[in-house]
Amino acid sequence: MLNFDYVRPTTQQSALNAIKKNKNSAFIAGGTNLVDLMKRGVATPEKLVDISRLPMKEISLVSGNIRIGAGALNSTVAENDLILKNAPLLSKALHAGASPQIRNMATVGGNMLQRTRCPYFYDTALPCNKRAPGTGCSAVEGYSRMHAIFGASNACIAVHPSDMCVALAALDAVVVIANNKTERRLAFTDFHRLPGDKPNLDNNLQAGELIIAVEIPEKNLFSEHTAYVKVRDRSSYAFALVSVAAALSLNGNSIREARLAMGGVAHKPWRLTAAENFLRGKSATEDIFKEAGRIAMQDAKAYPGNKFKLTLAPNAIIEALKQAAGI
Amino acid sequence: MDKLLENEDDRVTGRAVVTGSATYAAEHQVPGTLYAVLTGSTIAHGTITAMDTRQAERAPGVIAVITHLNAPPVPGYEPVTARITKPEGGKGMQVFGGPYIYFNDQPIAVVVADTFERATYAASLVKATYQKEKPETDFTINIEERPAVDGPRFKDSTRGNAEAWKTAPVQVSEEYILPIEVHNPMELHSIIALWDGEDKVTVYDKTQGVISTQRSIMSAFKLKQENVQVFAPFVGGGFGSALRTWPHEIAALLAAKKTGKPVKLVLTRNQMFTMVGYRPFTKQKINLGATADGKIIGLSHEAHSITSPYEVFSEGVINISKTLYDIPNVFTRYQVHPFNVSTPTWMRGPGEATGAFALESAMDELSYKLKMDPLDLRLANHAEKDPESGKPFSSKFLKEAYQLGADAIGWRQRNPLAASMKEANMLVGYGLGGGLFNASRGTAKAIATLGANGNLVVQSAVSDSGPGTATAMVKVAANNMGMPQDKISFELGDSSLPPGPTQGGSTTTSTLGSAVHIVTSALKAKLIGLAKKSKTFSSTLANAHRPDDLVAEGGMVYLAENKSKSISFGELMKEQGLTEISAMEESKPNEKMKGYAAFSYSVHFVKVLVHPLTGMIKIDKVVIAGDAGKIISPKTAESQMIGGAVGGIGMALMEEGVLDHRYGRWINNNFADYHVPVHHDVPLIQALFVDKPDLILNPIGAKGMGEIAIIGFAAAVANAVYHATGKRLRELPLTPDKVVA
Amino acid sequence: MADNNFLPEKNDNFLCPSRRNFLKQSSLITALAMAPPALVKASEQGLDEKVASLFENQSLRLTVNGVQKELMVEPRVTLLDLLREKLHLTGTKKGCDFGQCGACTVHVDGHRVLSCLSLAVMQDGKQVITIEGLTDGENLHPMQQAFIEHDGFQCGYCTPGQVMSAVACVQEGHATTREEAREFMSGNICRCGAYPNIIDAIMSVKEKGGSHA
Repeated sequence: MLNFDYVRPTTQQSALNAIKKNKNSAFIAGGTNLVDLMKRGVATPEKLVDISRLPMKEISLVSGNIRIGAGALNSTVAENDLILKNAPLLSKALHAGASPQIRNMATVGGNMLQRTRCPYFYDTALPCNKRAPGTGCSAVEGYSRMHAIFGASNACIAVHPSDMCVALAALDAVVVIANNKTERRLAFTDFHRLPGDKPNLDNNLQAGELIIAVEIPEKNLFSEHTAYVKVRDRSSYAFALVSVAAALSLNGNSIREARLAMGGVAHKPWRLTAAENFLRGKSATEDIFKEAGRIAMQDAKAYPGNKFKLTLAPNAIIEALKQAAGI
Repeated sequence: MDKLLENEDDRVTGRAVVTGSATYAAEHQVPGTLYAVLTGSTIAHGTITAMDTRQAERAPGVIAVITHLNAPPVPGYEPVTARITKPEGGKGMQVFGGPYIYFNDQPIAVVVADTFERATYAASLVKATYQKEKPETDFTINIEERPAVDGPRFKDSTRGNAEAWKTAPVQVSEEYILPIEVHNPMELHSIIALWDGEDKVTVYDKTQGVISTQRSIMSAFKLKQENVQVFAPFVGGGFGSALRTWPHEIAALLAAKKTGKPVKLVLTRNQMFTMVGYRPFTKQKINLGATADGKIIGLSHEAHSITSPYEVFSEGVINISKTLYDIPNVFTRYQVHPFNVSTPTWMRGPGEATGAFALESAMDELSYKLKMDPLDLRLANHAEKDPESGKPFSSKFLKEAYQLGADAIGWRQRNPLAASMKEANMLVGYGLGGGLFNASRGTAKAIATLGANGNLVVQSAVSDSGPGTATAMVKVAANNMGMPQDKISFELGDSSLPPGPTQGGSTTTSTLGSAVHIVTSALKAKLIGLAKKSKTFSSTLANAHRPDDLVAEGGMVYLAENKSKSISFGELMKEQGLTEISAMEESKPNEKMKGYAAFSYSVHFVKVLVHPLTGMIKIDKVVIAGDAGKIISPKTAESQMIGGAVGGIGMALMEEGVLDHRYGRWINNNFADYHVPVHHDVPLIQALFVDKPDLILNPIGAKGMGEIAIIGFAAAVANAVYHATGKRLRELPLTPDKVVA
Repeated sequence: MADNNFLPEKNDNFLCPSRRNFLKQSSLITALAMAPPALVKASEQGLDEKVASLFENQSLRLTVNGVQKELMVEPRVTLLDLLREKLHLTGTKKGCDFGQCGACTVHVDGHRVLSCLSLAVMQDGKQVITIEGLTDGENLHPMQQAFIEHDGFQCGYCTPGQVMSAVACVQEGHATTREEAREFMSGNICRCGAYPNIIDAIMSVKEKGGSHA
């Protein structure tokens, strides 16, 4: 690891000022991905601005929203009463990710900013447009088993590895972002981006900006019938082949509203709007869920190594909807 | 005597391990130690044309950067004059032995610095320029058509008629694929090396054999035995990866030599995939032919595996087909093909585990074709004597193991039809698979020393990578001496002790246990000798009817026919003015064994739950039944069997080394992407033993256990998945994508 | 945990001159002080780099197993390497160094974390408990005792991490059933496969009324 300067500002404002001073500086909170990337020489910041002790860890009700401080730990969020009561899907997704120790370190903001697990991204000896723009994508014609079936480009077929973000995308969360002058709000589904011809950019956070919170509406329709299904090569502590966050609002057996998002299939948490629209007003039956799975796959495109996802993904959607509906 | 052992089953290493005071290779405190880190090649095939080490040398804290251009000579290396084009057996990679690159991540430099962080960073600054050549690593396509290594080990073997299977009314003819699997012990391979002058060296090393490591270093550096000291008091797992001396160990010795300082070198987890061996990819074809009532008349087993461009590696992939069942006609072919990969090495169960996956899968396929219970098919072809040598078995209780296992899992209660059982939304399947492994006994020396305080110390130069060797040896000594275990200690991990075996091939307990038994018997004989000379005891002797019939046991020598006529060991030693009394003995393979074939056996019964939509397989229950001879240490023996099953779960469900064949480079050489089982993958596992001694093999009656714990396990899982789903999977690992495909 | 006002941002360069700042200044100084040939030589030998490296350390106060430590470390030193290589507390193990195995698990301010992904400087002012700090004098912690009784290890290398994780698992309330304990212990890999025995150990401690670290 390249050595670096380290500062630990005590206020959000001084942190934002610090990051602005040096282009090659980075925030660090849990460090569970950044330290990993620095050890591999994939990230080489000259200065780390430690934000782990900034007062942005609270989970509270703010004007009808559950506001989760960006510095809140994944384990804290997963076991928070407000979350368990109003957004159990988020808790389920968090518990499906990483390990207890990592969840005790990783923050909400850091989870959103974690980089892909594409093996070519981590190996500085091999081409990768995300790590070294212009060198090419090794995965397109290489190992693509873990890679995207939605929204990829020839420049990059990597996927975003988070579980938490899949749930937040499904729950219509909003991201609160600050720079040293102002704050802005961004729909969660607009936070991450597709690779296009700039796969080095994972999201729409601008230089000098800091995620300070994520908000979920307190009164939402999805406090009851939710499921997070994660299909992986071992039953815990593994990244998803595909994962599905499903939330249903049911009136008896009839679906009032549905929310569906997938992980492990795209450069960002992949919201399945067409399938959601289809489900609205339908009965919660396996046949209907099968059709939803089929609709969800309409724009899917597989690569030689991940054709199985075209079967596994709709199956996982069916399973998640069945679990959410309790059938 | 066994009553003595109750409540004494805990590992003798327990306290050291759970308090963190157990000292593994990289943890010995040697003042002034420098840190060495290897830089690996970024190509798999080619020649280094230039090295740029200037940046690394300038980096803070760097003491030395060693490459093939400036490495101190290794006198035992053969001079490198050209690229090796024909691999040979036993020729390990000569680190920094020239500009030729044979595999990706081959060490091209070792950087030595004052701290770990500085050495690590500087190692990333070493750059090489290469003349690249196209790497050949795609063993997944038509491996059988690739050039193969010649040699006597690779001759086809035929018993009876090679093509007899073709004449049988019921046939199975299928291919089975096993990917690269990697040992990945939890402890990273590590070494601390320090030279004392030009010709004397001490190493703290991760090794399964302190004597074999000592000999490798002696031969590499042309040193005298007494000038090479190896310590390995604790070894954090091995599973075969620490059976030999690897290039990083020589690199550390070179770095220590060059800097004149103690040097510590710890491999990274990534390097654990490229520098210390792996279980090789193997493609197998099995043909089985049987009569309608299930008597197998012919078997052919063909296996193709990989090796490195510079060294031949071979293992017993097809052995199991020659001996597991009573089949009159058996043809085997085993070939290895060089690719741009590092040399594989034995990994738990080695080739037999690979072979058993294919054979035991094919047996299951045959049973369904015959509409016969897979267990009954095995019983119908049970071998009463070794079909290959014709010799009787030294002991064989496989049928008893079948019975134990089948009863424990409820084998006969299942619905034998495929895809017939369900629990909630899961498909339920039962499968079995078994195997055997050669039971052997080698040469070992041990010394036993009894102190005047009544404490017994037994010593031998072995190391223990996990099974609990010291614990078992204390039991052997306690049993033979009739002494409480807390008075006995077993010391190992030091090459200056009498030479013991390398811990591999399921032979430690048999080999070393025999030595401990013999040396404690010799010690008892010495104590009886003292008793015979004893003045205070002479009156008792004079009154005895059979003065020769003395027994040494439980801290005293007594008359066999009258235990009250006794004298304590302590008194005997005091009389002679001895502060201690010791015996050293060498134990050798038994002559009698030449007339016998000896194997340990296991059978694994597995219940799986398969989720039909997501293809995820849950191992719900495991029963392993073993015939491993007399069980010396029941608690640790059970743990070892459970551990083998956990390794088997990895092999069956998730372990797969992946290379990108365009670059010949590893894709998943880390613990996040190369999956090994975690807690949540592992159910309750029941380990059962027939527990009958094999006294032909050795005086303690123990056979081996480490290998049979995993041999046949992966087939049991694949067979259970077939029973659950009706889908036959012949390529490991059984990941969700294959189940739903 | 009180946030001690360590390295206030506005004057951090003064409190702790960084290597890069030193390099910027030192090239000026050396340029003035040296004749050109000497300058070239110094640069070739990397003297600037080597002198500058002295300025790379930062101060760190840490309580490890109840003992306060005052240290100077490079910011890139992880808590794991600090423990093993500088404090010689080798009970905490390095199994992967990338947060993928759990062997390096320690408790920081009462929570189980991975020391391999924790920068030491970020732990300033915190309480670290390692396996060496779990024993109470000669008395083993109940979890340590249970690991011995249930044979919860073979080679022993992952064991300190397993024990630290297991103690936390019970304290967190994540050992109500075997199934839950298995899930909440899945961040600790054991290649010898002692898993069922480890869960036995955890459940026995849990049944005896939990553990206190």
